[in-house]
Amino acid sequence: MQNGTFKVIALSLAGLLVGLILAVFLSAQLSPRDEAGGSKAVPSISRAGVSDDILDAALKTYVPPGKHDEYYMVASGGHSGHIFVYGVPSMRRIRTIPVFTPDSAIGWGWTAESKEMLGGFTWGDVHHPSFSETGGDYDGRWLFVNDNANSRVARIDLDSWTVGQILGPVPNIYGPHGAVFVTPNTEYFMMASRFAGPIPFGTYAEIEKFSEEYKCNVSAIGIDPLTGEMELSWQMLLPPWSFDLSDAGKLVSDGWMFLTSYNTEEAYELLEVNASQRERDYILAINWRMVEEAVAGGKYTIIGGAKVIEPTDVPGAVYLIPCAKSPHGVDVTPDGKYIVGNGKLAPFVTVFSFEKFMECVNNGDFEGEERGMPIVNYDKVRVAEVEVGLGPLHTQFDDQGYAYTTLFVESAVAKWNLETFEVVDKVQAHYCPGHLVAAHGDTVNPHGKYLVSLNKLAKDKFLSVGPSHPEAMQLIDLTSPRMKVLMDVPVDPEPHFAQMIHRDLIKTFKVYPKDESQPGAVYKKEDARIERDGNHVTVYMMSFRSRYYPDIVEVNEGDHVTWYVTNTDFDDDITHGFGICLYDINIEAQPGQTQKVEFVADKPGVWPFYCTNFCSALHQEMQGFLLVKPKQ
Amino acid sequence: MQDFLKSRLTPVGRVLFVLAALAILISLFFPLWYLNLEATMYPEGLSMEVYANKIGGRIDIINNLNHYIGMKEISEADFPELTFMPYVVGLVALLILLSAGLGRVDIAVVTLGLASVGGMLGIYRLWYWLHLYGTDLDPKAAIKIPPFTPPMIGKNQLANFTTYTGFGIGGYLLILGILLLLIALWRFRECDAK
Repeated sequence: MQNGTFKVIALSLAGLLVGLILAVFLSAQLSPRDEAGGSKAVPSISRAGVSDDILDAALKTYVPPGKHDEYYMVASGGHSGHIFVYGVPSMRRIRTIPVFTPDSAIGWGWTAESKEMLGGFTWGDVHHPSFSETGGDYDGRWLFVNDNANSRVARIDLDSWTVGQILGPVPNIYGPHGAVFVTPNTEYFMMASRFAGPIPFGTYAEIEKFSEEYKCNVSAIGIDPLTGEMELSWQMLLPPWSFDLSDAGKLVSDGWMFLTSYNTEEAYELLEVNASQRERDYILAINWRMVEEAVAGGKYTIIGGAKVIEPTDVPGAVYLIPCAKSPHGVDVTPDGKYIVGNGKLAPFVTVFSFEKFMECVNNGDFEGEERGMPIVNYDKVRVAEVEVGLGPLHTQFDDQGYAYTTLFVESAVAKWNLETFEVVDKVQAHYCPGHLVAAHGDTVNPHGKYLVSLNKLAKDKFLSVGPSHPEAMQLIDLTSPRMKVLMDVPVDPEPHFAQMIHRDLIKTFKVYPKDESQPGAVYKKEDARIERDGNHVTVYMMSFRSRYYPDIVEVNEGDHVTWYVTNTDFDDDITHGFGICLYDINIEAQPGQTQKVEFVADKPGVWPFYCTNFCSALHQEMQGFLLVKPKQ
Repeated sequence: MQDFLKSRLTPVGRVLFVLAALAILISLFFPLWYLNLEATMYPEGLSMEVYANKIGGRIDIINNLNHYIGMKEISEADFPELTFMPYVVGLVALLILLSAGLGRVDIAVVTLGLASVGGMLGIYRLWYWLHLYGTDLDPKAAIKIPPFTPPMIGKNQLANFTTYTGFGIGGYLLILGILLLLIALWRFRECDAK
């Protein structure tokens, strides 16, 4: 009897123990630790002397060692010619990618390939990065950026995060500021002129003939859907109105594109005053599919090598929408139903209905025309003027039906509702924000969560480094009902626009595959060699931890030298550099990659070369000598 | 002894022989032996796998690291075993199937003997190569270390690398095959009722 009771007690205790272990195990499974690192907050934690606000911000942005950020942010580097890659929410700078400006760190501008792509230019002005899209959302394949100074565009391949192509200078277009904004399936991106000028390049025309002889245009850059190869498809000539920014229609408004103009006054001097006279300039609405068809039907002339078409050649394709005042950004809402004109000199954003716009177009409801282009009835197409504040420049969107607009003059970001068109929140930005970027914030599927305000002035925000300041980026939390600045982050001059993409969409490779057919590549030390053909010397060099084959290279003064460097360390992150002392040459070869550099051995003497990218414990020994025999 | 050699395998014994042949054949597709290197700067891992007919894994990287201590380059061409091992394994498997078909214990014993000798030779060669690579070091190497023989199964520390070695799935399949043969010959025999 007693024995039986003991058994029962022991069994139930054992059962309880097993149950407890199971429960602990299950609860650990049910609430896994935060994957994103920092996106979940525990506001109730508090420590002596530290406010809940600060703890909340710290927890939302702290990404512990070994963990990755949830989003990539790619910010344009402005007149540095680079782009900058950041991780969000930690706001750690991951990499600088040289695009239009040489960068000895990776040999950009020294390798034969990059030198050819740069085309002799030594700087560029990167304004607006744009991820390739499929179905109106980012697909993680390519990033396109413009060069506002030299009329170029570049494609960055997101498997290697290197520049795959630079197109341009694109003919006939001066200052393509209104670029690049891709169409929803990356058929094109559009570039619009900021500056009017006589075309083709090199044409002289007196400034007094500005209205007649100076042209703007919108250039459609076609993109190969498989390779991403860009080419100029066509250009539509536009009046000299200084086009600022553009956006492609999406979903219901797919097939259209919208451009802001700020100089419909057609001023050519003292624009600050003379281009600010009209209360309303225009947003141009262009049906790019109609233009595409007209061009395909042969309705174009060739100017400067480009297929050029006039608005009057395609009746029904171009309309003018009045918009206050010298508008800057134009942004289409995620559902494609509204077009938001950011007023700049007006303290409000104007919201236009695409549906109403189409009614005006279909019913011929126009309030006039200018230069042969119909002006749609403003009162009909405008659905709201949202009084966001002073100096509205750009708008992005979240997943909850809200829009966020930067207010340059007021130094703030306004949040407003896309149904009631009322401002619901405002946060100060330090100082003077230009663009802003939210996660997937210009797609059909915005993520919300994070917003980064790209501020033009930093002033007292960081430790002083003298009169030249960094720019300031501010990470703003969108997960709470009220916006809150989580972090101030300095950045080199000068991000204009940025894009924020979820990390799961980016698929990179880390080692270049072996490719025997690649010119100059050597994968075996027996194949490493020096060949001479007349006064042309070709070096086929192999580099791997921690040696070069060959490491003694002898040429004659005046020889033309082609030097291939193959990195045969097919090993993650084992990069080798190749710098020649006093010959102004430095390049890098990534794992598995073959690079080529060309130069004339015009300085006799002996010149050490060495691995410039620390590669191994015996990196210091990774060197050789270039012997240049003097002419007799 | 005579009786033993004249006895026959029972149906269960024959099935065990067929299974042994299968295990030995399948072993051709899996690593017989592996070497895993662990070091802080290789979070992704670094390994070498020896198959019956090839060496898998990142021998290019391992070779490059080994050259600092003057170890010879590991190259498939240096291992004659890799060219004939698949045939030996195939032949043994065929003999096992033949034994299973005929059910004759004498042939089965010869087969088992062949398989065991082959296995032991294989293990000896593995030790031989480990010993050779670990002791035949270039005296001009940048980093000089005392000669060593890595364990066939176990753990070894060399500079910043911890090496783990052991038999792979293929190796265990081979062992399993031999065990199955042993079990069949031990328990599943019958004398011919004359």
